[in-house]
Amino acid sequence: MAGVVKAPGAFAITPHKVSVCILVNIYASPSQISVPFPFSSVSQHNRLGLYLLALTKSCDDILEPKLDQLINQLREIGGLLDHWLTDHVTSRLSSLSSPDDLFNFFNELRETLGGPDSGVMEDDQVILDPNSNLGMFLRRCILAFNLLTFEGICHLLTNIGIYCKEAISSCSSYELRRVDDSGNDFESLSEDENMDLNLVFKKINEEMEARKRATEQVSFHLHLPKELSTLVEDIEVSADPKSEHNDKGRESSSYASGELLRDVDPNGGVFLLTNWQIQGYLMEQADAIEKHGSSFTLNAFELTLRQLQKLAPELHRVHFLRYLNNLYHDDYFSALENLHRYFDYSAGTEGFDFVPPAGCNSFGRYEIALLCLGMMHFHFGHPKKALEVLTEAVRVSQQHSNDTCLAYTLAAMCNLLSEIGFSTTSGILGSPFSPMISVGTSLSVQQQLFVLLKGSLKRAESLKLKQLVAANHLAMAKFDLTHVQRPLLSFGPKTSMKLRTCPIIVCKELRSGYHLISEFCCEGSTMTADGAFSTAWLKNLQKPMGSLVLSQDNGSRNNYNPFLFFTQPSSIPGSVMQLVGSSYLHRATAWEIYGSAPLARANALVYATCFADASSSSDAALVHVKLIQHLAVFKGYKEAFAALKTAEEKFLCVSKSRILIMKLQLLHERALHRGHLKLAQQVCDELGVLASSVTAVDMELKTEASLRHARTLLAAKQFSQAAAVAHSLFCMCYKFNLQVESATVLLLLAEIHMKSGNAVVGLPYALASLSYCQTFNLDLLRASATLTLAELWLSLGSNHAKTALTLLHGAFPMILGHGGLELCARAYITEAKCYLSDPSFSVSKNPELVLDPLRQAADELQALEHHELMAEAFYLMAIVFDKLGQPEQREEAACSFKNHVMSLDHPHDVEDPIQSDTLLNA
Amino acid sequence: MEEDEAIHGDFYLLAKSYFDCREYRRAAHVLRDQTGKKSVFLRCYALYLAGEKRKEEEMIELEGPLGKSDAVNRELVSLERELATLCKNNTIDPFGLYLYGLVLKEKGNENLARKVLVESVNSYPWNWSAWSELQSLCTTVDILNGLNLSNHWMKEFFLASIYQELRMHNESLSKYENLQGMFTFSNYIQAQIAKARYSLREFEQVEVIFEDLLRNDPYRVEDMDTYSNVLYTKECFSALSYLAHRVIMTDKYRPESCCIIGNYYSLKGQHEKSVVYFRRALKLNKNYLSAWTLMGHEYVEMKNTPAAVDAYRRAVDINPRDYRAWYGLGQAYEMMGMPHYALHYFRKSVFFQPIDSRLWIAMAQCYESEQLHMLEEAIKCYKRAANCNDTEAIALHRLAMLHRELDQPEEAAFYYKKDLERMEAEEREGPNLVEALMFLATHYKTQKKFEEAEVYCTRLLDYTGPERETAKSLLRGMRIAQSGFPSMDVEHFHP
Repeated sequence: MAGVVKAPGAFAITPHKVSVCILVNIYASPSQISVPFPFSSVSQHNRLGLYLLALTKSCDDILEPKLDQLINQLREIGGLLDHWLTDHVTSRLSSLSSPDDLFNFFNELRETLGGPDSGVMEDDQVILDPNSNLGMFLRRCILAFNLLTFEGICHLLTNIGIYCKEAISSCSSYELRRVDDSGNDFESLSEDENMDLNLVFKKINEEMEARKRATEQVSFHLHLPKELSTLVEDIEVSADPKSEHNDKGRESSSYASGELLRDVDPNGGVFLLTNWQIQGYLMEQADAIEKHGSSFTLNAFELTLRQLQKLAPELHRVHFLRYLNNLYHDDYFSALENLHRYFDYSAGTEGFDFVPPAGCNSFGRYEIALLCLGMMHFHFGHPKKALEVLTEAVRVSQQHSNDTCLAYTLAAMCNLLSEIGFSTTSGILGSPFSPMISVGTSLSVQQQLFVLLKGSLKRAESLKLKQLVAANHLAMAKFDLTHVQRPLLSFGPKTSMKLRTCPIIVCKELRSGYHLISEFCCEGSTMTADGAFSTAWLKNLQKPMGSLVLSQDNGSRNNYNPFLFFTQPSSIPGSVMQLVGSSYLHRATAWEIYGSAPLARANALVYATCFADASSSSDAALVHVKLIQHLAVFKGYKEAFAALKTAEEKFLCVSKSRILIMKLQLLHERALHRGHLKLAQQVCDELGVLASSVTAVDMELKTEASLRHARTLLAAKQFSQAAAVAHSLFCMCYKFNLQVESATVLLLLAEIHMKSGNAVVGLPYALASLSYCQTFNLDLLRASATLTLAELWLSLGSNHAKTALTLLHGAFPMILGHGGLELCARAYITEAKCYLSDPSFSVSKNPELVLDPLRQAADELQALEHHELMAEAFYLMAIVFDKLGQPEQREEAACSFKNHVMSLDHPHDVEDPIQSDTLLNA
Repeated sequence: MEEDEAIHGDFYLLAKSYFDCREYRRAAHVLRDQTGKKSVFLRCYALYLAGEKRKEEEMIELEGPLGKSDAVNRELVSLERELATLCKNNTIDPFGLYLYGLVLKEKGNENLARKVLVESVNSYPWNWSAWSELQSLCTTVDILNGLNLSNHWMKEFFLASIYQELRMHNESLSKYENLQGMFTFSNYIQAQIAKARYSLREFEQVEVIFEDLLRNDPYRVEDMDTYSNVLYTKECFSALSYLAHRVIMTDKYRPESCCIIGNYYSLKGQHEKSVVYFRRALKLNKNYLSAWTLMGHEYVEMKNTPAAVDAYRRAVDINPRDYRAWYGLGQAYEMMGMPHYALHYFRKSVFFQPIDSRLWIAMAQCYESEQLHMLEEAIKCYKRAANCNDTEAIALHRLAMLHRELDQPEEAAFYYKKDLERMEAEEREGPNLVEALMFLATHYKTQKKFEEAEVYCTRLLDYTGPERETAKSLLRGMRIAQSGFPSMDVEHFHP
């Protein structure tokens, strides 16, 4: 590109690398014994080797560690040797006082390396293989040193001086608080991160300069009147004439100067890690941003990025990270700006995941920019714009024959189409699709989506993009779950098609995602995993666990593998875990829709326990929502709200939209049951506000809100209004092809008509809902539709009681097996009513047939606090007892009936602590 | 003037000599014990320059694998400390204040730097360096209006210069013209006027001014890059080569000289060579804005779009208000067949320069492109272009065509008429004229406005080609419709 950039592999020699070289030299000193001099056991020796490996590979930061950090780590590693190791390193470093010392040092290093023909070697001799990791490191250091100009060597020498001085200053303080946890340094560092960006930056800069100023002696300074320096504020480094001697006698008086530099900020001489390590760090951070979403710390990371940008202006990946950071913190303009900047600079050809194309095609991969831009628009809720951009991306990737990008773009489009309700894509999906959708222009959105999905899947399979294949299978499963497959062409010989969704296909699609986990290694770069592994290893060193291991080492001193003692980081990349996890989420949802509560719960639990680490916070929230909803339906509100409280704590800092929505749903449901209609309406309105938020209209939420609105109206006995709302909702669902929702709405309409006393009008709705349920295999909803149908029949008159009872008994297995408390109770009550209204049934002959279901219903409703149904149950009970001539029990039932009716009519008599404070929080 | 002995003292003179020989540290050392205001300033300034020099050197020495390392002027901290003390004790002269402002600016303390510099120029207005530092700290009009500057003719210079920087070219021009009344023979003012007029795209006058300027000041290199841009736009090969020759003889290692040569090669179509010279200009001054942009243009010519994009982006990151670079970015992406992506950049460029018709036309063409085909938006852009003095007269024609395409004959006729008037005024002829006449004739005929239609038809008869025949038959048809009589031989009436 235009700016002159050195090769990305370029490697600068820094003081830290020099000290690593010293350690490598200790590790592989050319000696004749298997365990070289300072080491007392093989394990000790190995441990240092592992540490050095980790040191050269870890990517947990952008800056190289300071000497004191190194020394702290050596303390953890070295065991009894720590003093010897640190002394050796520091004395070796401080003995480097002239350029010639450096030359000699690097010459010595060369001896550590075995020759290229090191086949002839004696047993037990320790020689570093030049092609091993450490050998390569050493060779690169030597090469980098040899390439240095004389000025470069002078700078290196000065830097080594500063590096040692800093360490000594903090070392003396370390001696004081040696008993403390060694993690202290890190804590104090992270405190700084929360401060205002600019402020910290300025401070760092100032102090860096001040430090440099103080180390380099210029005589004029000392001629200033003493008062001057004391008059000016903010000066921590006093111009003490004593420090004049430091430069010459660094070795001897370096301990004394520690006093002087005590207050200096530890971020003194800053050196970047190698390019490779920084790239690894940035990738890890990108993962973290995506995983944690908005809970990721914006400012602290921005500070790091700024520093990185300043230190390495040609590392353009920084702009991308900044884009991601802004994206997840909903800063549209900065995100847009940074995205464009990144691709302008890098042309999409940066990063170590990039393999330069073999041919002469070096004209950038700007189609990736389009793909990212499209996803950004999608994220910010501009689906139309996103679709336009993605269309362009498709065209450009076809032009540049970048099939991989094309496959990903198609997948992104599928995602977009399936997530966002489009009533029509005409005018958006235009000409570029003609080669793919040549069937005709009259295709509905769903048909287009299907064609796109198929095409995307095929492409991904032929390109062997494992993760994309898995993701596509998931998308396909989602599609199959909610869409009936019809032939795309409406003419030609009609094959017999059953117009139903097929759960088996869904299952197949979900299963095919699992192959990923065994095959992922072909894709994703193993390098990152390596780096992450080393990082984790080093981080564990900082934890108190490290010292635990150390003490064991001191005690038993037998061979052990240090890795066993640490929580071993998973070797499966996070993205793969996430995909596999989300297949479980999909399963849970599928079972939810098909109506198998236990299976849905089991899958959600599997996800929550096995994939919690890898999941993004929004997915984790979703699983919690599912589990809590399950609790509410099957165990009542008390438990659900208790669980909700813990979930809220867990997702405290996240924008808890999902959790919030679920909370509103629970509150609404409970308010309806208790008869708090005003509260219900209030909650419902809040849901409506959420649905019409600025960031795109969430169709799912919108339907949910108006469905609840209709139900509130129904509870308030405003039948015509409720019917109107439900009707318009059905129209919307029909328009946007939300067929599963249509079934629910139709059922609601049937219920509305039944309650308003128009059972005849309600019947066709219930039947329509039933047929929808059959088509989409919504078994539980079907059972509840059957129940409603039975209720409708029953309300047509007592001569239909038999029909109703038959229907009800047909649905009973499903209802009792999978239905929630409310559904079961309703079924029991209806059953009782059927018996009671059947003229051929006599209560006195078989009272338990009626009383038993009523008792059960009352029990189950207790948890839900559903006053209306409870009142009904007790009323029926009272009648039965009356007929049986048991006045005592009759009175009891009647009394309960009265209580429930009263509390239904005067909802505010009941004090409810949870409701008031939760609503406030909401 | 109350000053101590030291001014005339030997120390000062020795230090000044060292300073003039660019031995800054030596100069500072000589003055270590002097307390006179002048000596203190010279010592501090020498130290500052010494630090700057070292910084420049270190920038090259310390360059890391991923670009520059953070070389800093190591004198800043001590200088700031000392100057702050002096400032507090009120023992500082305007030059000291200037230096203090400079140091503060480098350390990022812009507010205080502005305050100090304002104080400096108010007490000693003839220090242009202080004014220019102040200018670089005023990036918006609001900041400028917030400055508390006392009246002085130097302030006029400052305002004129800063107006130019803030793209308020007309204001700047009027200030300079006022100043020219006072300083009739100033080359500087002349050059600035030329630059302002260049920004207003008045190339003819600019050329005249520069020619005049070069007569008075033949070895001038400053601002000559603007002159070369004008010559480039006007495609004056020989004049440009003459200018290039002249500056290279004067000083070949000036960014401006390299830029002029780059322009020359670009005009000759030798883009590789041109890039070499722009690169050299950038090596001499990494923040040379127009060189980045011009290099981007060269890369575009060489069809190396990624390099062009990179160059433009660097220009934009140096000065985000540079509309040419934004425009270049848009063009580059459009070339790669990404019109939607390009729109982002065109939008940026028209935002910063809404009065340039070329930008609006480029954006409109983007909307018009086959892939986007957003004609409504294109029409909006063309309208803006037509409103801001579209010299090449593309906009009106395109507007007419688009309206015709969208089946809006009224609007189309309106724009064709306007276009026609314009072509008449500029006495241009060509296919566009015929097309306009043709459309208007048929349009008025269908509107049953036969008189107007006849006028256009008759004019069409002056041209050869199929249009002439169509016009004839139109005329014939109209005659029939008008009179109800059988047709007469039109050709008979016409010469």
